[in-house]
Amino acid sequence: MDKASHLSLILDISPSQWHLSASPSNAFPLSFKTFLSHVLTFLNSHIAAMHENSLAVFGALPGKSVMLYSSTDTAEGADVVAADPNAYRPFKLVDSLVMRNIQRELELLGDPEEEAPIALVGALTKALCYINRITHIPTGAATEDPAVLIDPRILILSVSPDLSSSYIPVMNSIFSAQKYKITIDVCKVFGADTVFLQQAAHLTGGSYIYLERRDALLQYLIMSFLPPPAMRQVIAVPKQDKVDFRAACFCHKDIVDIAFVCSVCLSIFCSPVPVCSTCRTKFPIKTLQRLNASRPSLPPSANGTPRPGARQNTPLATSLR
Amino acid sequence: MPTVTEQTDQAQDHTSHALLPFLQSQSQTALTRLYQRPSSCLSIFRLLGAVERQIVMNLLWLESSIPTSTMASWVTRDGKTFFDDAIATLTRLHIMPNPIAKLGLSPAFKTGMRHAVTGGGTSVSFGVPAELDEKRPAPTVEALDAHALERWETILHYMVSSGTGQAPARPSQGVLYLLDRSGLMKPNHGSQLQITSSGFQFLLHTPHAQLWELLLQYLQMVEERQMDLVEVLSFLFMLSTMELGRDYSTESLSVTQKAMLEDLRDYGLIWQRKASSRRFSPTRLATTLTSSLPPLPTATGASAGTGQAQGFIILETNYRLYAYTDNPLQTAVLNLFVTVKSRFPNLVVGSITRDSVRKALANGITADQIISYLTTYAHPQMRKNKPLLPVTVQDQIRLWELERNRVKSQDGYLYTEFASHADYEYVLNYAKQLDVVLWENATKRCFFGTVGGHANIRGFIERRTGGQAGTGR
Repeated sequence: MDKASHLSLILDISPSQWHLSASPSNAFPLSFKTFLSHVLTFLNSHIAAMHENSLAVFGALPGKSVMLYSSTDTAEGADVVAADPNAYRPFKLVDSLVMRNIQRELELLGDPEEEAPIALVGALTKALCYINRITHIPTGAATEDPAVLIDPRILILSVSPDLSSSYIPVMNSIFSAQKYKITIDVCKVFGADTVFLQQAAHLTGGSYIYLERRDALLQYLIMSFLPPPAMRQVIAVPKQDKVDFRAACFCHKDIVDIAFVCSVCLSIFCSPVPVCSTCRTKFPIKTLQRLNASRPSLPPSANGTPRPGARQNTPLATSLR
Repeated sequence: MPTVTEQTDQAQDHTSHALLPFLQSQSQTALTRLYQRPSSCLSIFRLLGAVERQIVMNLLWLESSIPTSTMASWVTRDGKTFFDDAIATLTRLHIMPNPIAKLGLSPAFKTGMRHAVTGGGTSVSFGVPAELDEKRPAPTVEALDAHALERWETILHYMVSSGTGQAPARPSQGVLYLLDRSGLMKPNHGSQLQITSSGFQFLLHTPHAQLWELLLQYLQMVEERQMDLVEVLSFLFMLSTMELGRDYSTESLSVTQKAMLEDLRDYGLIWQRKASSRRFSPTRLATTLTSSLPPLPTATGASAGTGQAQGFIILETNYRLYAYTDNPLQTAVLNLFVTVKSRFPNLVVGSITRDSVRKALANGITADQIISYLTTYAHPQMRKNKPLLPVTVQDQIRLWELERNRVKSQDGYLYTEFASHADYEYVLNYAKQLDVVLWENATKRCFFGTVGGHANIRGFIERRTGGQAGTGR
């Protein structure tokens, strides 16, 4: 139980969403600055727990993702940070480097007319690649030593809504995470529930938490996301009781309640198609006619509105043939 | 014998750190003073178990205490015992007062830990870095490692070769005194120190455990030497949070702590250019004090800096052992329980034999310690095997140990020359009721009873026969 763990943190840095989040019309306004101070304290707590704990921080910015900090290569900024007899140096290093890099990225961002979509998938894949790199140290035999293997997880602090075009890459990331036994935790700090991240947490055994009291962010983070996966057998971390399993169709990238699935490659379509766009399988005209006739009369649900009643038992409802 | 009890504690509970029982035995005022320094809070926090750390973190940012039942609802049913143990440990360390109804951190620890995590306060507890000096730059990490390794191996090598007629370099007087006090070595005829059986066991421990064993002994001596325990502990904790390869100034240290510099220099925990130097650098031994998987700086990892794997032993099912090492200390330690056949520049070939193991057992080393040593230092190639060590060899080592325990001695009295068989039966029944019979033989009309039962049996026989029946030893 007591072994080192690795945390990759993904920060959703969307200027427009954070602007909305800080507006005083919210029940608990949370500015990006306060958010960062809570997050940095959380990161320090993670490093404090064990000398060997490692950490990487990624930022998902509009249209680009960057690595903000990693505990394996700190040499780059080590000279910039002045020594302080009142602070533990690794903490100081994390805090200053993360702050500096975020500031740099936000300045680079400039002031565009329209905000590009958040590159969450980019950050997620970078985090996966990073974990893959540190768990497979190319020294040969030593990797098989169980003591060296770390307990990796990814924590996503999300504020932006789902980007339905990113359904396939998110799902692929989830499958990679499953394969490498990486737990994905999600904390929805602001905005509506995101379907994809709920699924990510559910499928990798992580926990998805919708932040209700946003002024207590730090306490939420510490109690739910600080225990590494191995310790969650002892400390019960809240899991979501209902998961929105709906998928996005491959043709229009809409989130659908009921869909048509290719019997060969399991691609999802919101309406019957004569030829599967993924595997080029041709479907008989007869089947198409029958399916078109049996289509449910209710229109496909609007993008992102959850329907608690329907979602529990009907992940992918109909199939062809 | 404090060392002996600590070893058994460690054997029973691997998760708990050796220092915690010592801290628990300290008074509340001493601990409260200790918690005023953020670096001490952080280091003690790291020594705690995983569940304890999580509880502390959960409570750290709460202003008021919360009911125990609320916290307990965060624990799974299987984890209940862990949770209760954790609460008990935290209370004994006075990190948490009064746990019966409400949970909360003690104010001193809470403030200290908050400062540690956020980097606030003005306690200067993480060490004041020395001014940059162009003429005398800080030593490199390699130099520090070499220094630590040399000091530590000197101590271990001195222990292992005592009594073998060789005369290795002697560690300083302070180290010798500590070895004597800890019972790891005892002076035999004259002033020559001789390794004891607990010393042999010590040699087979991991460097991390060895280091803490010596430091605990050092802490036990602190009071005799009129040093302030809190100062000593907080200095050790401060060292453990310092950065490797950096110079620190001695100016902010107290008198006690300055006095400690000399001792710690002897153990290889810190490096100083010369004794009067106003700056010091912690070595890897010091900076890994509170980490549980130490990046080995010492004897074991052939040489720490080069990144060589720490395992070097290959053990085959035919009891042959190949050790890829050129380190005289490792060879000497292996020599404790292996018959060395041949030595090459980088390889020692030997085999585990009945005689070699029995020699080790006679020195007080246990079979489990031999097996755990072989496991710890197994060559990476061996790690592919499951189980890691050949089962036959493991079993045989254990059997050799059992062999020594075939005969068990017990003091007692032999009762013979009963006048009649009825007499014999009567007394024997009485003795059996008392459950003191160890052996009986009806044909010879005698039985053997424990020492504890003798007074009763003797009284019983005397009452019955008026003191005529013969009793003998």
